[in-house]
Amino acid sequence: MTITADDRLRRPVTPNPQRKMGDDDAGPGRPNVPKPGGDNELLKRMKRVDPDQAKRYRQRSGQ
Amino acid sequence: MRPILAGIETEYGLHIETRGPEDQIEDAAALVRDYPGERFVGWDYRFESPRSDLRGFRVDRLAVDPRDARYDAGRTYPSDAELRADRVLPNGARIYSDHGHPEYASPECWSLEELALQDQAGEIAVARAGRAYAERTGLSVRLYKNNCDYHGASYGTHESYLVPRALGFERLFSAVTPILIARQVLCGAGKVGSDHDRACAFQLSQRADFLADAANVETLYRRPVFNTRDEPHADPRDWIRLHVVCGDANMISSATKRKAGLVKLALWLEDAGESPKWALADPVRAFRGVSRDDSFRFEIGLQGRSWTTAREVLESYFSAAEKVLGVRPGVPQDGPAGEAGSLIAECRELLDDLENCPERFRRRVDWAAKKAMLEQFLVAEGADWRDPRLRAFDLEYHNLSHSDGLYFALHEMGEVEPRPDAHEIEKRLESAFEPTRAYARGVAVRKFADRLRSVSWSALSLEDEHGRVWDLDLPPECAYSEALAAAPDVQSYSELLRGEP
Repeated sequence: MTITADDRLRRPVTPNPQRKMGDDDAGPGRPNVPKPGGDNELLKRMKRVDPDQAKRYRQRSGQ
Repeated sequence: MRPILAGIETEYGLHIETRGPEDQIEDAAALVRDYPGERFVGWDYRFESPRSDLRGFRVDRLAVDPRDARYDAGRTYPSDAELRADRVLPNGARIYSDHGHPEYASPECWSLEELALQDQAGEIAVARAGRAYAERTGLSVRLYKNNCDYHGASYGTHESYLVPRALGFERLFSAVTPILIARQVLCGAGKVGSDHDRACAFQLSQRADFLADAANVETLYRRPVFNTRDEPHADPRDWIRLHVVCGDANMISSATKRKAGLVKLALWLEDAGESPKWALADPVRAFRGVSRDDSFRFEIGLQGRSWTTAREVLESYFSAAEKVLGVRPGVPQDGPAGEAGSLIAECRELLDDLENCPERFRRRVDWAAKKAMLEQFLVAEGADWRDPRLRAFDLEYHNLSHSDGLYFALHEMGEVEPRPDAHEIEKRLESAFEPTRAYARGVAVRKFADRLRSVSWSALSLEDEHGRVWDLDLPPECAYSEALAAAPDVQSYSELLRGEP
């Protein structure tokens, strides 16, 4: 089975959007989830995470 | 369809309080040495050839990350063997320190089910070593099953697939590269932000930012989509070990199965000379493009200014398997055909869920589980994707600690699919559960550790009670008998392995 460019409509590849963090439309769209209640167990676990953990986390390059 | 022997090696992230990357080489080796379970200490490096390239040449040296050289300035290290601190476990797995990361290389497995269980057994092995290290030193240790540090460093989760030498580089590259690019949609671990290239808020792959070439032999720097390392760990006249370096570490067990299953599907098709032929314009750009596509169109550029999508690529492999290999998704079949059928049915269901039922999709795919978790936080806090805490949450999704790790929090709350039974995972550390050569290796560790002289993936050397040395090959295609476990001594074990009366 062979599928090549010739078998398809010639459609231009959509250019990659040149976005930067902080652009108005940066990132995935606004989440379509209801606001979790204050007793949400997941949020409680997330709030226990040290907010600087990733900042301090430095590794050597592996394979 | 022949069974394909496969394994997964995962380098874990290691964070020890008061220590940094300049200490990591020594710390990882010390942590592995503290592994408290049954093991044989040592490894035979004679069969390793990381500089050999499938395209028929050997490079003089492998590239290294220049930042790591700075960490090593003025330091001297003991021998390689001491730094690697190899341990071979009773399941035939290898745990060691690789470039400062505790690494668990799973035993070779034939089935996807077993491979995923053995991969999760690795989480237990590494966590046990971490606990033993913490108890001995009094330092707090965190271990992460992920692939980046958000400061430009990456470490790998590699897959190995044993394939006939006759397939060769050109056919493997053409058959496997499209599926490596497309499978991110169904197996990516997800990542907040980017390490290189233009900024983004969230992407599917932890590794995409670190891929620089379509194909090369490198693994530490300028990594490729398709790795050409030629190190078969078997008779090189017969076998190639396809070494995949662009995949992510998965927390969700079915994602591990899917990740390996999709590569196997490409290999089965190419074995039959029937893998779909996609003329990719630029594999690196395509990989990064799919990873960063928040529109979920997942377009992939083709030669001739045309394009396709990850979904179309995946479907081309699925329909070819139905047509050429006689795979019937959703219909019970034995052996590899049954495995491929279940895989295809699951992947099609997931691709539909991605469009129509994201709540179901995110239960089985790490990137989507992570993204949904982050979105709950954003909504609750009224924050946006620039919030620096998101990276901390991303990292902690991969924390091996069941009490602190956010993947384990999602699991506890039933937000992701149930894990395999904990006892089933744990007992994988005691033995290989399929009659692969890992089974024979594991028996030797369990029964004759004091008689073992050396161990590698492809061979063992034992000395019997009379001083006779037995050098034993472990051909990868053989099925190894349970009778090995009943052998009373080294001689009878060795004779059984050689098929001698």
